[in-house]
Amino acid sequence: MALTHETLLEGAKLWGLFYLMGFSICVLIYTFLPSNRERFERAEREIFDEDDGPWK
Amino acid sequence: MGQLTTGERDFGAIILIVLAIIGIAMAAAGRSDVLGIHGAMVLVYCLALLFLLLSGAFGTPPSAARLTRYYDDPIKVGVGLTLFWAIFGMFIGVWAAAQLAWPSLNFDTSWASFGRIRPAHTSGVIFGFGGNALITTSFHVVQRTSRARLADQLSPWFVLLGFNLFCLIAISGYFLGVTQSKEYAEAEWYADIWLVIVWVTYFVLYVRTLARRKEPHIYVANWYYMAFIIVVAILHIVNNLAVPLSFAHAKSYTIWAGVQDSMVQWWYGHNAVAFFLTAGFLAMLYYYLPKRAERPIFSYRLSILSFWGITFFYMWAGSHHLHYTALPHWVQNLGMTFSVMLLVPSWASAGNALLTLNGAWHKVRDDATLRFMMMAAFFYGLSTFEGSFMAIRPVNALSHYTDWTVGHVHAGALGWVAMITFGSLYTLVPAIWKRERMHSAILVEVHFWLALAGTLIYVFAMWNSGIIQGLMWRTYSPDNTLVYSFVDTLLAMYPYYIARAFGGLLFLIGAIVAAYNIWMTVRTPAAATLALDDDSPGDERQISGATPTPAE
Amino acid sequence: MPELMHRKLERSATGFMLAIIAAASVGGIVEIAPLFTIDDTVETVSDMRLYTPLELAGRDIYVREGCYACHSQMIRTLRDEVERYGPYSLAVESKYDHPMLWGSKRTGPDLARIGGKYSDFWHVAHLNNPRDVVPESNMPSYRWLGTNPLKLADLPLALRAQRAVGVPYTDEMIENAARDAYGQAVPDSEQSSGVTERYGEATQVSAFDGVTTNVTEMDALVAYLQVLGQLTRAAYENTAAPEQMPDPDN
Repeated sequence: MALTHETLLEGAKLWGLFYLMGFSICVLIYTFLPSNRERFERAEREIFDEDDGPWK
Repeated sequence: MGQLTTGERDFGAIILIVLAIIGIAMAAAGRSDVLGIHGAMVLVYCLALLFLLLSGAFGTPPSAARLTRYYDDPIKVGVGLTLFWAIFGMFIGVWAAAQLAWPSLNFDTSWASFGRIRPAHTSGVIFGFGGNALITTSFHVVQRTSRARLADQLSPWFVLLGFNLFCLIAISGYFLGVTQSKEYAEAEWYADIWLVIVWVTYFVLYVRTLARRKEPHIYVANWYYMAFIIVVAILHIVNNLAVPLSFAHAKSYTIWAGVQDSMVQWWYGHNAVAFFLTAGFLAMLYYYLPKRAERPIFSYRLSILSFWGITFFYMWAGSHHLHYTALPHWVQNLGMTFSVMLLVPSWASAGNALLTLNGAWHKVRDDATLRFMMMAAFFYGLSTFEGSFMAIRPVNALSHYTDWTVGHVHAGALGWVAMITFGSLYTLVPAIWKRERMHSAILVEVHFWLALAGTLIYVFAMWNSGIIQGLMWRTYSPDNTLVYSFVDTLLAMYPYYIARAFGGLLFLIGAIVAAYNIWMTVRTPAAATLALDDDSPGDERQISGATPTPAE
Repeated sequence: MPELMHRKLERSATGFMLAIIAAASVGGIVEIAPLFTIDDTVETVSDMRLYTPLELAGRDIYVREGCYACHSQMIRTLRDEVERYGPYSLAVESKYDHPMLWGSKRTGPDLARIGGKYSDFWHVAHLNNPRDVVPESNMPSYRWLGTNPLKLADLPLALRAQRAVGVPYTDEMIENAARDAYGQAVPDSEQSSGVTERYGEATQVSAFDGVTTNVTEMDALVAYLQVLGQLTRAAYENTAAPEQMPDPDN
């Protein structure tokens, strides 16, 4: 199959769509994975801890 | 630079001497070209820094204890540079705006003609003001959220001062007629190469600092800074690939031509908006807004979802700058589709910010700093809605090429970018100089109202002029001929051009007030005896555990 | 153990970085990559000519002065634009444009088809002081262009750099770049015949700024303005109608 504008276009769009769907699913899983809940909640509050210096 | 050891100073001196030699080489090779002037500027810049570096070289060596503290010296210098470029860039903007109403204001000189000062304005505010604000706040946020000192002593200075050398070369170049005429990427090849070097150093420094953190999770603000650093590097390199006439000439030709160049340019241009003017400033929003409001972000998960949404969708949207042009139709449609989809993560971010403030409205009422950030989130929501709307092809048919675009950009630039920056600066400055609060709360209040009034006047003037001109261009008489000549439509613009210059002037005055206030805050020695019980927003500390988790 | 821990943390930042690149690069790739095969589908035209050295120098001045900030060079496929400015722009017309100067704002009118609409004399008067010919104009005056001599010596380098980025200038064109620029701006000089030989009979040879004793930046810029929309006739022969017809009652 020759690499014409048409085939390249088709491939790019199709592949782009699958990529979009796959990526969205990964992000959703990461965001709502129950085991991540705790670290997110900690991150949310951690910026308020007030000791003014690096930890090491 | 007082915290540098002898070894670090020596290394810094070597870098500066090498750069100075490059400056001499540029000056010599380009002596019959504007490149020579830039060579001389590089030389002077490096020698001045060398003098500063060495003048402190024989003092007492820094104590080892400094490594157990945060590294705030570059941040302090960065605040000053941010304010300098803010005032410079906005002044040039007001001047350029005034030239559109009164064209003789270029005093018949080449360097001050509109086409040359316009990029000086855009680069001055985007790279000078915005870029310095991003570097400065990122140094602050990454240290605080990672609980780690910056990973290196010398490279923060290299990044900050190197970036400012880029700004200086780029912007002085526009006055001298050195430009690629690629919008928001006007700087010529040698400045572009220099920026790549600075940017790679910035990236390495940032990642190394993150690697020192205690908590395995990286706080979301750093995600946005990371996206800003990485994607801007990709965009900058791809868009600026060019072949210079010779190493002795400032002039170059981009490798991209015609349609491809238009797509690459607006892929760059739109994502400069996304990753320079949005991602990095959202990072500020996600750190300084909760900090100032003393409330955790409404939904951390929403901030993650909108992060990936923005990072993914924005890259497709650039082609909406090219509707109805010779760019293939399918690319235009793809750009339009993703631009509309972008509204979802954008409004998620804006909503997340505003909902964080829900329950703290009394603080917004009393604290102009927090109000700056609230307004910024509001304008962010407004201009992202407007952006998606304008990306729809038939709407774009009317808005494109008119002042509506300019108004849209300034709703974002003044209302969102500048306001979140000033809000962050008013939070950052007392924190790193260890002051109880800003020198004058009243001046913050004055600045807020000047900024808001300036933005509204500017944006409404441009909305009006843009829509009027767009409609006049396509007005037909009953016998099917165009009613207005181009000059007719230009004449209708003059009142709005005057109003816009006035709005911009108000905003500029606000920035000067901010600079004065910050200067006074820094100058006043830290008063440990100040009573804590007055109007500081730090009254109601109920963060650690007492506040119920916001609903998700 | 702390060493191992440290490395693990670093890895997570690297993985995160890769995720950002993965998310951000795909949009650009999908939209930009197919454009490099665009030559398969867009118009092929036989009469497309190159910018002469003088026109290229004029284009560089247009770039240098930032004219793109107020003038577009892209007539959209809208009826009112076609009626105001001329046939809508085709992709092929900017195929030798490094960079493209389509612009994004019309404080002044579109210039894609300005070539040949006004006389050289009008352009010189207009650039010297726009308000002399258009009293309402807010364009800056570019008086100094007429006194700045054009740097002819740089032109061979300019053409060579253009060839490096894909514009098919021949060795002969590069060699004669400075002579051709002079010849185009000084009619009846011994150099002027070479210009039409190398760039085609349609090339305008003219004393653009009205003075033939020297070649100025004004000569170059006017030569460039006069060739805008004239490199090919393709757009004038294109018969496809503009795609959007605004309501005449609007």
